[in-house]
Amino acid sequence: MVQGRRLFLSGLVTAALVSSAQFAYAQNTITIGAIVPSSGPFAEWGRANTVTLDMLEKQINDGGGINGAKLKLVILDDAAKPAQAANDLRKLAGDDKVLAVAGPLTSGACEVTFPVANQMKVVSTSQASSKPGVAKANRPWAFRNTVDEGILAKTSVPYFKKAFNVKSVAIIYDAKDAVSTAIATKIMPTIFTENGIKVSNGDSPISFNTGDLDVSAQVTKLKSLNPDGVVIGADYSQAVTVLREMKRQGLMKPVIGGTPLISSAILQAAPEIPVVAPATFYATMKTPKAEKFVSELQPLLRKTSGLPKDIEPSMYDANIYEIVSMYIDAIKKADITGKPADLEADRTKIRDYMANLKGYEGFSGPVHFGADGDAVKNFFIVQGQNGSWGTKVTGCSASGGGC
Amino acid sequence: MLLQQLVNGLTLGAVYTLIALAFSLVMGILSVLNLAIGELFMLGGYIGFAVIAMHFPLPVALAAGMAGAAILSVVIQKVAYEPLRDAPLVTPMLSTLGFSIILQNVVTNVWGSDPLQLPSEMFDNRVALGSVDIGVMQLVVVGATVALVAIVAYIVQQTSVGRALRAVAESREVARLLGVSVNRVTLVAFLISGLLAGAAGVLISLHYAAITPYIGVDIGLKAIAVMVIGGTTRVFGALIAGPLIGIVEVFTIAYGGSQIRDLVVYGLMILILLLRPQGLLGGSRQDVGPRV
Repeated sequence: MVQGRRLFLSGLVTAALVSSAQFAYAQNTITIGAIVPSSGPFAEWGRANTVTLDMLEKQINDGGGINGAKLKLVILDDAAKPAQAANDLRKLAGDDKVLAVAGPLTSGACEVTFPVANQMKVVSTSQASSKPGVAKANRPWAFRNTVDEGILAKTSVPYFKKAFNVKSVAIIYDAKDAVSTAIATKIMPTIFTENGIKVSNGDSPISFNTGDLDVSAQVTKLKSLNPDGVVIGADYSQAVTVLREMKRQGLMKPVIGGTPLISSAILQAAPEIPVVAPATFYATMKTPKAEKFVSELQPLLRKTSGLPKDIEPSMYDANIYEIVSMYIDAIKKADITGKPADLEADRTKIRDYMANLKGYEGFSGPVHFGADGDAVKNFFIVQGQNGSWGTKVTGCSASGGGC
Repeated sequence: MLLQQLVNGLTLGAVYTLIALAFSLVMGILSVLNLAIGELFMLGGYIGFAVIAMHFPLPVALAAGMAGAAILSVVIQKVAYEPLRDAPLVTPMLSTLGFSIILQNVVTNVWGSDPLQLPSEMFDNRVALGSVDIGVMQLVVVGATVALVAIVAYIVQQTSVGRALRAVAESREVARLLGVSVNRVTLVAFLISGLLAGAAGVLISLHYAAITPYIGVDIGLKAIAVMVIGGTTRVFGALIAGPLIGIVEVFTIAYGGSQIRDLVVYGLMILILLLRPQGLLGGSRQDVGPRV
């Protein structure tokens, strides 16, 4: 009888605890922040990121929220300006009391924002930054759901050499963009030289500035070097102008670059010129998770004003979707209350969850983070030509090779 | 490579000339720096682009781009200049700056921030002259610039409208006493200025077969440098300064690098101003004082 009463009481206590936890979640809104460039030169990426996050927020809330709590995403625009990104992070962490932040997008913004994330003790995970060492310099709160361009180039360059019998290359790059400058002036010259390929202008690569539409003088100079291949260190919106001018001046040589080249727009610039670049996601990739993501997101992107009617989800949409999904997993699995009083502890739990993440199933396969804060995941060396991307090599960014 | 770069420089210089002329018309006649001209140029490019994308021929695109930019230029005159005509000179200038930012935002929201591209086979024809390879659009850009400058020269020098423009440029009060409608002349100056900026936008966007909302800022600033080098009080100073800056810019990129491009271009502007404050074709030093 006594035993039965004890059992009944302990059941009541357990039920009360469970329901109070659920009540706390139900009362609370789980708030996560995001920093995207909705204006400025990378506005297309930022706006597409916003549509992606809105879709994820709706999916989560339609599915009952996070342990009963409503998900609220606070998305701020940094216009790809480092100072604005840092201010955004201060506002998200200080005023909006977010549990974690997805973004910022560019390496330049990350270099300024990540130290603020460390100072404010809130996780900040970039969806696009791939300049070497940016997260590593800002441990333990900085992460990047991207792979270092230096690691990717070690696979893309040998493919480029073999596929196009390249013996010499010339480099052109956007001197005002951090990751483009790193790709063109440090990563590519070193790796091409290691692969026995002559870099015709390794000492003085040809440069242009973000926003330049006239690159005729640069391409005329590039053509005079008569290379077998061309390295373009630029994001796709700038690379489009270079490819157009190359075609206009008859410089029909294969092109290689970093992840910022991946886009559908670049395939339209000069369809006859093959473009080789690394990616961890591209819209036409054939995995069930990626296909489902594209089928859900693409119609939303295409009906958003200010975005091209033929836009496809980008790698950065996939990356930011993964980042927020990881945060949501952390909230579900790491005993996070979402209560204002527990904010500091909750942020620490998310940081530890990210650092110790195992086997998160991303679009390209399992994802975890290395000690340097960068994602360890599968990647693809893709070649774009005549309007579509196709996978040529598959690799993993883990130092041992297997993901 | 030298001759090829010369062709590249002349093409760029032709565009600078047209936009600088657009700045000069308002600046030389009304002493107002209309900072929205760079964005009128950009908007003209987008309109021309849209018309070409609808499969209309180039002359229709050119006319549409010019008309669109001219209409907006008149709106700027009515909204951003006319109400502030008697305010300090910096006030209408800041007002036009506000307009330019609004225009850039509107275009970004309507057409997006990515470069718009035409199919690559359009306007890609080229003519080989020995070692020099000239694009047909480069010839169109230079040819259209020469034609438009000649038309503006004729209007300013040979017509009653031109005489009125010059009279207002000399003295607004005296022109009014002589029966010139200053309001109408102001409107005409903004109108022609918009037409030229729109034409430059269409030509450059079709030449590159691509356009972005941010093209107006950089090229607009270069055009101001061209106007200053040519002489702000002499409308046709741009005719010499445009090609000069275009060629200097292209040769700096080719032989020095784009990192020092702006340093050289704006350094040249400062040097010329130090040696000839009135610009290359500017008049006597006395007429420099009251201008912005």
